[in-house]
Amino acid sequence: MTVRTRSTTAVRATPGRRAGARGISRRAAAVAFLSPSMAVIGVFVAVPIALTFWISLHDWSMYTPLSEMSWRGLGNYQDLLASQEFFTALRNTVIYVLLVLVVTIPLALALGMLLYFPKNAGKGVARAALFSTYVVPTVAIAIVWGALYAPDYGPIAQAFDAVGLDAPAWLSDPGTALVSLVVFHVWQMIGYYTILVIAGLTQIPIDLYEAARIDGAGFWRQTVSVTLPLLRRTTTFIVLIAIINAIQVFDPVYILTQGGPAESTTVLSFAIQRSAFQYGLAGQASAMAFSLLLVLVAVAGVVLAAMRRRS
Amino acid sequence: MKHAVRVATALAFALVMLVPLFPLYWMVISALKGPEELQKVPPTWFPADPSLGAFGEVFQVIPFGDAFLNSVLIAGVSTLSVLVTSVMAGYVFAKYRFKGRDVLFWAVVATMFLPPIVTLVPLYWLVSTMGLADSYLGVMLPWLANAFGIFLMRQFISDVPDELIDAARIDGASEARILWRVITPLLRPAVVSLAIFAFVFYWNNFLWPLSILQSDDKFPVVLALSRLLSYSTSVRYQNVVMAGALIASVPTMLVFLLAQRVFVRSVARTGVKG
Repeated sequence: MTVRTRSTTAVRATPGRRAGARGISRRAAAVAFLSPSMAVIGVFVAVPIALTFWISLHDWSMYTPLSEMSWRGLGNYQDLLASQEFFTALRNTVIYVLLVLVVTIPLALALGMLLYFPKNAGKGVARAALFSTYVVPTVAIAIVWGALYAPDYGPIAQAFDAVGLDAPAWLSDPGTALVSLVVFHVWQMIGYYTILVIAGLTQIPIDLYEAARIDGAGFWRQTVSVTLPLLRRTTTFIVLIAIINAIQVFDPVYILTQGGPAESTTVLSFAIQRSAFQYGLAGQASAMAFSLLLVLVAVAGVVLAAMRRRS
Repeated sequence: MKHAVRVATALAFALVMLVPLFPLYWMVISALKGPEELQKVPPTWFPADPSLGAFGEVFQVIPFGDAFLNSVLIAGVSTLSVLVTSVMAGYVFAKYRFKGRDVLFWAVVATMFLPPIVTLVPLYWLVSTMGLADSYLGVMLPWLANAFGIFLMRQFISDVPDELIDAARIDGASEARILWRVITPLLRPAVVSLAIFAFVFYWNNFLWPLSILQSDDKFPVVLALSRLLSYSTSVRYQNVVMAGALIASVPTMLVFLLAQRVFVRSVARTGVKG
C-alpha cells in the first residue's frame, strides 16, 4: 500500500519522465494503428505500381515464375507503337471518355439544378431514384441493358418502331456498339455526379441569387453569372472523377460485347485484361497498363492546372 | 408562363424517376415471364402470366446459393476490415503529429484515384506467389484496407475536439481505449456510411475475383451471374438470368434503401467512392 502511494508521488514529481514514457507509448500506438492499412496499401498498391513498370520491360507469360521472365527493355512499348490493336483500343478509350464527358457534365449540371432549386414535392424521391442505379451491381444491370438493346425482343427497338424509326442494331453493330456502352455508363453514373453538383450548389450563398434578382437577372442570367462560375471547383472535380471512372470501364464491356463487334468496343482496360489473362502476354499488358497510368497522370495534371489558372 | 414552367418541371421530375427505374422494372418483369412470352416480338410490357419459377431454377442451374454466401463472406469480411483499419489510420492522420505525416497522407489519398486495372497483373503475381490464387483470402487480401476509408475517417476525426482526447489522457486512458471508447462512438454517421460504401463496392467488385478465382465454388455472386449469362445466351432462358440478376442486386439495393439519406449525404461530403 505504502509502496504504491510512494510510486504515484514519484511519477507526479517527474512530469518530464512521465511525458517521455507517454510519448513512447503514443508513438507505439501510432505505429500499431497505422501499420495494418499501410502494409496493405504498400504491398498491394504501391509495390504493384513499380512492378507494373518493371514487368513492362520484360517478356513474361504470367503463369510462370517471375524469375523466368526475360529482359526486353522498351521492346514492349515499341511493339505497342507498331500495333494496330493498341491504337484501336486507345482510340476507343479516348472516344468513350470524351463522349461520356460531353454528355455527363451538362446533364449532371442540369439535373443538379433541377433537383435543387424548384420547391416541388418529391425531390428526395427523385434524387434517390437517380442515385439508385449507382449501387446495383454493374454486372447485373449490364445484363438487363443487353436485353433492353436486343434487336427484336428489346423494348428500345420496339419504341423506335412505334415512332416509325429504324432502330439501330446497338450492341451488334460496330458503328453503334461503343455509343451504346456510353449510354449505359452515363445512365449508371449520372446520379452520382448529380449528387456532387447538388452538394456544390448548397455551398452557394442564397443572398447572391437575391442580389442578382434585384438587379433584374432572370434564370439564365443567374445560371451563367452566378451558378456556373461558383460551381467551377465542383465541375473540375467531376470532370476528373468522370475521366477516371470512364477510362477504366471494364465490366459492361466484358459482359455485353467482349470488345466486339470487330474490336469496336475494345477499350484499354479490356485489352489489358485480355492480353494478360487470355493471351498470357503479361509484359505487353503491363506496358499498356503503365501507359494508361501515364496518360491518366498527364490528364489529371492538365485538369488541375486548368482549374488553378482560372481561379 | 409560370404555369408552363411548373408543368415542364413536373414532367422533368417524372422523367428523372422513370429513366433510372425503367431497366430495374424490365429486370423484374423479365424474371417473371415464361419462356414463350420472352420470345414474343414485340415484347410485352406487363407479364401476361407472371411466375416465380425462374427464381427457383437459378439455384438449380448453377450453385447460386453458394455464390451468394461467398459474396456475403467476401464483402462482409472486407467491409469489417476496412472499418477497423480506416478508423485506426484516420485517427493517426487526424490527431498525431510526426514528420512526413502530411506527405504520407496525401500519397495514400492519391492511390484512391488509381484504376485497379493498372496494377492488375503484378497484383495477380503477388497474390499467386503468396500461394493465395483461387482462394477466399486471395480475393480479399488486397482490399482489406483502402485509401477512401482512411480519408473519410480522417475528415470526421479531425472534427473531434482535442480537449476530449486530452481529458481522456489525463484520466489515464490508453490510446486504444481513447480510440475505441471515446472517438469511435462519435463517428457513428461516418462509420455507417463507410460500411455501406465498402459493402456496395466489395459486393459489386468483378474484375479482381474474375482474375484471381478459378473454381466455381468460390465465385462471388456477380461472377456466378456472368457465368450463368454465358451458359444461357438464348432469350428463352432470360427469366433465369434476370432472376439471378435481381437476387444479386437485392443486398445492395436494400442497404441503399435503408440508409439512403446517409449514403447520399456522405457522397456529397467526400465526393469520391471507395
